[in-house]
Amino acid sequence: MSAVATSPVRICDVTGRRIHRSAEQLVKANAVVAVVALLVGIIAALLLVLTRWQAVHLLPPTWYYRLLGVHGMNMLIFFIIFFEMAVLWFAATVLLNARPAAPRLGWVNFGVMLLGSLMVEWAQWSGRADVLYTSYPPLKAHPVFYLGVILFAVGALLVTCQFFATLVIARRERTYEGSLPLVVYGAMTAAIIAVITLVHGAMTYIPTFLWSIGLIAMPDPQVYRMLWWALGHSAQQINVAAMVAIWYMLGALTVGAVVLNEKVSRSAFVLYILFISMASAHHLLVDPGFGPAWKIVNTSYFMYMAVLASMVHGFTVPAGMELGMRLRGYTDGLFGWLRRAPWGDPGFSSLVLSVVVFGFVGGITGVTLGTEQINIIAHNTMRIPGHFHSTVVSGTALAFMGATYYLLPLVFRRRVAFWKLARIQPYLFSGGMLLLVLGMTFAGSFGVPRRHWDISFSQAPFDVPFNPAVDIFLAVMGIGGIIAFLGGLSFILIAVKSVFFGEPLPEITRGVEMHGVPRGLTHPPVHAPDADERNAALHDPARGIAGATPGTLVLVAVFLLAFVVYYFANWKLLSFLWKIG
Amino acid sequence: MPTPDPVDPDAEPVPLGQRLFDNVFLLLALGMGVMLVVFTGWGLWEILTLPQGTLP
Ligand code: HEM
Ligand SMILES: [Cu+2]
Repeated sequence: MSAVATSPVRICDVTGRRIHRSAEQLVKANAVVAVVALLVGIIAALLLVLTRWQAVHLLPPTWYYRLLGVHGMNMLIFFIIFFEMAVLWFAATVLLNARPAAPRLGWVNFGVMLLGSLMVEWAQWSGRADVLYTSYPPLKAHPVFYLGVILFAVGALLVTCQFFATLVIARRERTYEGSLPLVVYGAMTAAIIAVITLVHGAMTYIPTFLWSIGLIAMPDPQVYRMLWWALGHSAQQINVAAMVAIWYMLGALTVGAVVLNEKVSRSAFVLYILFISMASAHHLLVDPGFGPAWKIVNTSYFMYMAVLASMVHGFTVPAGMELGMRLRGYTDGLFGWLRRAPWGDPGFSSLVLSVVVFGFVGGITGVTLGTEQINIIAHNTMRIPGHFHSTVVSGTALAFMGATYYLLPLVFRRRVAFWKLARIQPYLFSGGMLLLVLGMTFAGSFGVPRRHWDISFSQAPFDVPFNPAVDIFLAVMGIGGIIAFLGGLSFILIAVKSVFFGEPLPEITRGVEMHGVPRGLTHPPVHAPDADERNAALHDPARGIAGATPGTLVLVAVFLLAFVVYYFANWKLLSFLWKIG
Repeated sequence: MPTPDPVDPDAEPVPLGQRLFDNVFLLLALGMGVMLVVFTGWGLWEILTLPQGTLP
């Protein structure tokens, strides 16, 4: 074999890992396209939020619905999934020290996904696919739209297969010992759910495509809705698994978080694999085609196993951070570990905000909305976008942003540009999102519908009055949306400037603050020299119920209390509407 | 047949639970199976056995 100018492998000077350049390039390409999709989605978001804010009511109806479709596809599908492809390549190669399976095929798949997304963009922007991202028949789009989605999905499925192939290679070549590391295990969970998702995607989109070119009759709308949500909901669970994997990774990188119990965390991932996809049924709770047994088994009994898994991660991630901090010597009081944490490290602040908003707001509203009886007062109201902007946006998107602050120096080998802005960006984005979510949720509780251009019903022959408080909630949503837009735009500016015009990463001197380098890299979190004794002392049974992580336990109690109150309040609301006796 | 690990003869055997959790393709099959039976299969059956509506 002839010598090549650059070796296919480089050794990372920060972490000492062997990094395969071909995989690294794939991580880069997917991440860059993800950020471009985010830019398109966020511009649409600003225009949408300024339309739903009834006092502003910016767009005409056609463009409201067109951009609602553009926003859904670019955010939920292109931004999130391209980033997940980057996560899969990163986890399978960098974290496992392994060589990528068939990197050339990786480029073909990347190209196919890119082509598919461009086809969808063309169809949507040119007004040939005003069907929203759910494209329920009888709404019909141009065939290029469906074909674009199919190409995108095929590309993503093949990358997932490459991920599994890389795991097999790593195992065979013994690049790691024992079981897969936990973060890779989380990525593996995401990949399995991705296969489940994409199989249902094929069942949905192939018939719809054939219908759009006139080969078959229209698919049955009820069957379509069921299959579509097996895709639409499960896709969100790929995000959840990828996000949790990133939580564990950022915890370790930023504050030296430990894994409390491998067995427990892995069991939680397995529960996701088995039970999370079927919760798709919560999107169909008011559909007439299914009986209560199917609805309740799919959204309650079995699905609660997946809720349990989320609550396990919601405990072990912060508790692992607390224990890690305590082992590093931050032991004062209940919350000393939190007070002394690196709040100026955007990787850390993203992690904490992601965990808190996802758990407290997303988790609690999600379980409540997914209850069959309560769903009837929430279905298709603004409470639903209120819920998922706290999960997939404040949770997943923010976790991806936090991971990017570490990928920039580690993979792109650049300083993070606009460092001062980067340090506040997670707060800006998360704070704005929280306002948007609260505004949407409360407006929805007063009956404001989602996907609706004009709630004043100005030309309708009848009057639909809303409680005047709704105007305030929609204004809160609007202001929050603008702040979140600025936060998201800041992230895009930082990422683009760092990648394309950024300063190369200089040699990192341990223990010295550096502009544009997250603290977890300049001050790698190491445990105190007496960590073993500390650990034993923290696990002393004499500490009683508080155990080794008393601070997290208090937070869990607050969480459970909030959960009970919100759940109860919703049943109470329901009882006002359905008088009994 | 899996070849025994040549590296360390007196290593502890890997517990059954861990071997199951490490078996990526088994997990894939189980996850897909549960979904196809409980959600998709049962759901399709519900729709297809729906009695035909009669116009009033
Ligand atoms: C600055 C950030 C964002 C703002 C201000 C924003 C705002 C909005 C607004 C106003 C709507 C329309 C709700 C309605 O009228 O029914 C919407 C819908 C939606 N958003 Fe966002 N969003 C943002 C980011 C995101 C991100 C990052 C994602 C996904 C990762 C996302 C996913 C969605 C989805 C799936 C819909 C539903 C579309 C539909 O009903 O067809 N959004 N968003
Ligand atoms: Cu869902």
